[in-house]
Amino acid sequence: MALDYRKCAEEIAANIGGGANVISAAHCATRLRLVIADNSKVNKKALENVDGVKGMFESNGQLQLIIGTGTVNKVFDEFISVTGVQAGTKDDVKAAAAAKQPIWKQMLKTIGDVFVPILPAIVASGLMMGLVEALAKIPGLGFGGSDWFAFLDTVANTAFAYLPVIVAVSAARVFGGNIFLGAVIGLLMIHSAFLNGWNVANTEAINSFFGVTDGIIPKWHLIGNLVTIQRSGYQGHVIPVIIAVFIMCKLEKWLHKHVPEMIDLFVTPLTTVLVTAFATLWIVGPIFSMLETWVLAGAKILVRNPLGACAMGALYPATVVMGLHHMYNVIEAGMLAESGLNTWMPIASAANFAQFGACLAVGLKVRNQKTKSVAIPSSLSAALGITEPAIFGVNMRFFKPFVAGMIGGAVGSLVAAILGFGATAYGVTGIPGYLTVSNPLQYTIVLAIAGGIAFALTWFFWKEETEEGAEPVKAAPAPEVKAEPEIVVPEKTVISCSAGEIKAPVKGKVVSYTEIPDETFAQGILGEGVGIWPEEEVVRAPYDGTISSVAESKHAVGITGPEDMEVLIHVGVDTVNMNGDGFEVLVKDGDEVKLGQPLIKFDRQKIKAAGHPDIVVTLLTNSDDYEDVTINTDN
Amino acid sequence: MKEFKYTITDPIGIHARPAGVLAKLAKSFEGATVFLTKGETTVKASQLMKLMNLGVKAGDEVTIRVEGGDEEAAAAALETFFKENL
Repeated sequence: MALDYRKCAEEIAANIGGGANVISAAHCATRLRLVIADNSKVNKKALENVDGVKGMFESNGQLQLIIGTGTVNKVFDEFISVTGVQAGTKDDVKAAAAAKQPIWKQMLKTIGDVFVPILPAIVASGLMMGLVEALAKIPGLGFGGSDWFAFLDTVANTAFAYLPVIVAVSAARVFGGNIFLGAVIGLLMIHSAFLNGWNVANTEAINSFFGVTDGIIPKWHLIGNLVTIQRSGYQGHVIPVIIAVFIMCKLEKWLHKHVPEMIDLFVTPLTTVLVTAFATLWIVGPIFSMLETWVLAGAKILVRNPLGACAMGALYPATVVMGLHHMYNVIEAGMLAESGLNTWMPIASAANFAQFGACLAVGLKVRNQKTKSVAIPSSLSAALGITEPAIFGVNMRFFKPFVAGMIGGAVGSLVAAILGFGATAYGVTGIPGYLTVSNPLQYTIVLAIAGGIAFALTWFFWKEETEEGAEPVKAAPAPEVKAEPEIVVPEKTVISCSAGEIKAPVKGKVVSYTEIPDETFAQGILGEGVGIWPEEEVVRAPYDGTISSVAESKHAVGITGPEDMEVLIHVGVDTVNMNGDGFEVLVKDGDEVKLGQPLIKFDRQKIKAAGHPDIVVTLLTNSDDYEDVTINTDN
Repeated sequence: MKEFKYTITDPIGIHARPAGVLAKLAKSFEGATVFLTKGETTVKASQLMKLMNLGVKAGDEVTIRVEGGDEEAAAAALETFFKENL
């Protein structure tokens, strides 16, 4: 019996005093969360009886309506269209949670959030580009001049050449703006009216592109010499694009709030794009082009001696992050013209190969399957010299691997500078670099040192964190079990004592064990703990432990945890009488379980139909053995 | 050592709640350890999880053994408990 989402949304709206009474609306996996202006207009009795609303309560100033997984989003969409309320994003909630972290961590997390969804595109391109360019460098093969090369190279570098567009779309999604406006900003930054960002230091390219002779990129003089825009694009850039889209999204949201609805559709996007374009090209752009000039000048000085090379090896990945590494080929070309030996390439190679080592270590060590599946191909791409997927998708996100890579790169570069070898061409690093280096043996030593150090440091110092925010992540495959259990790490601690913490096995309203509608439980005969009125139908492990008991009637499970804590999770009261109908046990006696791993699935409708309360009883059965057992309830 | 046998009549058997009560009771005898045997498995009756794990159901015969302390009194109290509750 499918729920009529529209009708449900309309009835909800009618019983809360209409859209005008809603300050903000958002939803989580199961609940519609509303912030209401005037609570007296809310008809709670009627709300509870709305078809599709399974329950309601108020918490933290929010009116929360329990609607259910897979349904709540549809009701929410209808609710938004019925009421015209501006949708609050989960980002707002996330931002509130993230606001506690230091700013640099927030920034790294943001870059990671932007990059993770686009990884398939750049990992594929990175690998293809590495292979194609390597093939092209093989002497005597003639591949570099073939049509196949031209075709494959075009396919391979598409994602990188137009990276700003992909980044902009993803960033708009992360920052909660319109993704199409985000795309416009991304496209603008690589518009064909601008000089390709890869060529900003290339005098010849500048002269031929603009038809000038002085090698200076012309500017648009908008207000004399006061406000000018340099006509260069942002190919290969990442950070300026994210900044631009961030500005855009802030602006767009502000305008949506303040522009009268009648003219919102044309005023808001128009103003958003125009102001963002102006701010980006006038302010953000020049800052980066200044940085580029400085980095280039600094790099030229640094590489003259081994210590400088060492510093450059450390800083190199940071310049990749800033998108400033694209002008380095100018240095390389200069070196080749001067002495025929490109001593820059071993530094770049050491730095890149160190990121490969760090990324590989993450890939081999991490247990989260999703991270693993990103880290392994990203590391391969980095080994071929294309480090963006590894840096943005993996190393920077976890940060320690990135630092490990910087250290590896520094040591590798130092060794390379002391050995004094170089390359006879430019454009490739990593493994394809063998095709151009003057001394393959020394090159091997440098790669081994850089990659090895980064790998070892990452391996020993980086630990996998469980990500906050409880996104479903896959756990490492448990032995013998066919499917990987989906681990969702619970946030709420319901019981704590000297032995440790016990997390909530299900989401829902937590009450003291004394309030459980059953005498035996309420008296604490089975131990102290809590009851949880569930909002979902999966019981999860409240800590890492071992299954010590599974009821034959499938409705209860015991888990032994740290310091011999024994927790009994009993779904519903008197549900033993249901003889397992409506329950599915996912573990067996003696199984090792991880915090958040699903243990029992249960059907709330069936429990209710059988006439039992569906409260999930969670008790520390040997609470007598511990001191200071405290329970945290929602009251 | 004092022991007795009992055949469970309660249809649910020794599940969570009765097990909890039994474990509590078993812990209450000073100096005594209470064991419960079903078939070939013996567990301490004070250990709730182990007790539940036996999966004792109606019709099962269990053996209850008391060791140490006031065995007589403990066994008597336990027997009463079983007759009244299980």
